[in-house]
Amino acid sequence: MRTFRVTLIGGIISYRALFHWVRPASFVGSLLAAPLFQLLFFVFLGRALGVADDRFYVLGNVILSATGACIFGGAMGVANERVYGTLGHVLLSTCRRGALWAGRSLPYAVNAVAVMVFTLACATALLGVRMPVGSLAGLAAAMVVGSLSCTAFGIMIGAIGLRFRNVDTIADAAMMLLVIATGAEVPHSALPIWLDGIGLFLPLTNAIDAARGSVDGLAGSAVMIDVGREVLVGVGYAGLAAVLLKYFEYRSRSGLSLDAV
Amino acid sequence: MWRQVCARQSDAADRLAESAAIESANLRRVYTVRTGWRRRTTKEIHAVQGVTFSVERGELFGLLGPNGAGKTTIIKMLNTLLLPTAGSARVLGYDVVKHPVAVRQRIGYVFGGDRGLYDRLSGLDNLRFFAELYGVDPAVQRRRIGTLLDMVGLIGRERERVEGYSRGMRQRLHIARGLLNEPEVLFLDEPSIGVDPVAARDLRAIIKELAAGGTTVLLTTHYMAEADELCDRVAVIVAGRFKALGRPADIKASVVNDQVLEICARSVRDVHLDALRRLPGVRSVGVDNHSDGASVILVRADGTSNFHASAIRTLNDLWIIRVNTRQASLEDAYIALMSPAQGTGIGTQTSPVGPL
Amino acid sequence: MTTRPGRVIRFTLVGLRTHLLYMSRSVTTVLFTIATPVLYSLIAIYLSHAATHPARVIQASVAAGLMGIWSSVLFQSGTAFQRQRRLGVLELIVGAPTPILLALFPITLATAVIGAYAMATTVFCAVVFFGASITPFLSPLFLAAVLVCIVTLGFVGVLMACSFIMLRNAYALVNTLEHPIWMLSGMMVPLSALPGWLHPLSWLLPSMWGTQAVRDSVVGGPVAVPITIALGTGATYLALAVFTVKRVERRALALATLTLA
Repeated sequence: MRTFRVTLIGGIISYRALFHWVRPASFVGSLLAAPLFQLLFFVFLGRALGVADDRFYVLGNVILSATGACIFGGAMGVANERVYGTLGHVLLSTCRRGALWAGRSLPYAVNAVAVMVFTLACATALLGVRMPVGSLAGLAAAMVVGSLSCTAFGIMIGAIGLRFRNVDTIADAAMMLLVIATGAEVPHSALPIWLDGIGLFLPLTNAIDAARGSVDGLAGSAVMIDVGREVLVGVGYAGLAAVLLKYFEYRSRSGLSLDAV
Repeated sequence: MWRQVCARQSDAADRLAESAAIESANLRRVYTVRTGWRRRTTKEIHAVQGVTFSVERGELFGLLGPNGAGKTTIIKMLNTLLLPTAGSARVLGYDVVKHPVAVRQRIGYVFGGDRGLYDRLSGLDNLRFFAELYGVDPAVQRRRIGTLLDMVGLIGRERERVEGYSRGMRQRLHIARGLLNEPEVLFLDEPSIGVDPVAARDLRAIIKELAAGGTTVLLTTHYMAEADELCDRVAVIVAGRFKALGRPADIKASVVNDQVLEICARSVRDVHLDALRRLPGVRSVGVDNHSDGASVILVRADGTSNFHASAIRTLNDLWIIRVNTRQASLEDAYIALMSPAQGTGIGTQTSPVGPL
Repeated sequence: MTTRPGRVIRFTLVGLRTHLLYMSRSVTTVLFTIATPVLYSLIAIYLSHAATHPARVIQASVAAGLMGIWSSVLFQSGTAFQRQRRLGVLELIVGAPTPILLALFPITLATAVIGAYAMATTVFCAVVFFGASITPFLSPLFLAAVLVCIVTLGFVGVLMACSFIMLRNAYALVNTLEHPIWMLSGMMVPLSALPGWLHPLSWLLPSMWGTQAVRDSVVGGPVAVPITIALGTGATYLALAVFTVKRVERRALALATLTLA
């Protein structure tokens, strides 16, 4: 019961306390409007350059719209403990760390799915892009798995932010990397091989492929392979985040201060 | 907008007689706070509730009160950073609402804390920028900056980034910044907050020197000792109203002959406190409850009354741990003025000491 | 204190130096100012290769540089008051005898100059990594057009800073306006790709005319007309700022928002 409370209630409270964009104006501006305008930008750019159709950019940017909530949210959810001086209290608590940090992740993942659904709905309404009904299951799976793996990535960045300053810079850089290397804006075939290779290890790359595959009518098994790859990437970042959090907690007890901002 | 900048040379008819540096008449400030976003509720906070006072030129005047009393609100209305809700104020004869630029040309404002400086820049770069912002003649800037750095003891450290300064150094840089335009009136808002005792003593020395040089200083503080040491006159403000105004010696005199009886006991209840209050000569009763169940009762009474035995008898059903008597201190005077008239707080409202 | 032209110029220069120095010492600010335009120029270059238009490297780098100038002005000017407020110097600026508009201009000008770092970086990348010719970037017309862009966007920044002074969540609006202005200015997405009903909106933006001037200077077109219109529209924004600032300042003093972070 305690673990459940730490995960669910603790997670929700920390979301409200640490996520700067939870205020309505910031939520609408940064999480809803900005990704939608980014989607429109790339749709029009794609039209001008004749590179790919609207659906290509809509799906890529819908999945990519999760990055705000996942990366910045995940980063703030961990690193802001240090900023507000509450990290010491968290580290002194006796609750299970897995439950604690998992609880931090869930609200952002849910937030990200909500953002993706909103962005898709608006893009559909504004651009007249239709998704086949049969693709919705695959699309939903891509969104959910993508948001979870991207949140794990954000938590990992937050863990880095426990040790290093300027976690915002790291988060910004991570978002830029996702924009260019995941295939959301540039087809895999147009990317340099090294950059495309980096993209394989980033969250959302496989989720975007799964979303596009699902809408393009690929077999369910092919879509699930991409979803499975995304799960593996997410598990990898979740594991890395857990290791980093454990390591930095250990170092804080052996003399390395984490409380200085 | 450009005409307001030249207000110093015009509008002479609107200036009052130049005897007072600061005058306020029934100054009020109400903050409206809105909470909730589905069902919005509005609450009004009366931060300043009609204060009237004046500060003579060259005087060092203190606003003394606890956190949230309205000190900073008053100072910000006077230095044109807040519009009063009602009432009026003039600084050096200029209305703070109608002629804010004329006021700003003649005042300096220094506040405590770490903020208020560009921390990635050096102390010197900060002063250069603020010198331009406050319209200091370029011909005199360099010399004046040098003089001020010397005065506040930052010579040799001026080229270091402010982010590496201690709290005391930042505060001294603040004072240098506030004096760049050679203000006739200097507003100091809790300048020694968070500063160690040695640095605070140095700051007080600087403030005394300024006042001795003829600068009118209005200082806010919640340290009674600081107000006592520095100020010619002090206004004690609680919950937006003045509770006393006069010389520190006069305010102290209201309690200096009193005695305080400290009784540490267990299981103290309100009935005991009420009984103590009814004793002859008792001016105020307060209690400090500790987490271990013990309470310290402070009974302040007229120094001529012999209330000790009566007080002990009143508490004869309690387990008394210790009893101590002493003379009333400055802190007792302050606490007496800060506390509400009723309830378990110490002290009652006193009438203002000295002219308002 | 007087308002002689000499004092105005001196204050602008001292203020520009102060704020430029302050912003340049923030690694985060500089990196973010440079990185986003480089990212978008790379995206455009990769997409251009994909569209088999190799000659668009110069256009992509110039467009990305202009986008960087706008982003810098938007993020730094739009949040200028927020940042000054957070530093605790906003009250000192408002409480000074210097007119607030004059106090603001060096801040917004500094943000536009910082944005020029982006232009320099994208041009450098185009020349060094993609073999573009440097000749177009050295022409006086190009430099004049970029300077006009910087100054007119500085004027827009003043209006934004004045308008956003009342907003505690200026970041929300700032995040929202980045892509729309890029699109409406025709910086990377040509105006012809946008719906026709949006075109009149773009005529109102000095950034659109500045972009046209910069583009014309590179391809050898007439720059006098767009430069003139850019300066004219920029001056209009400055006039609006003059109208806005006094009302906004009075409201801020009445509602006591100068210290609310």
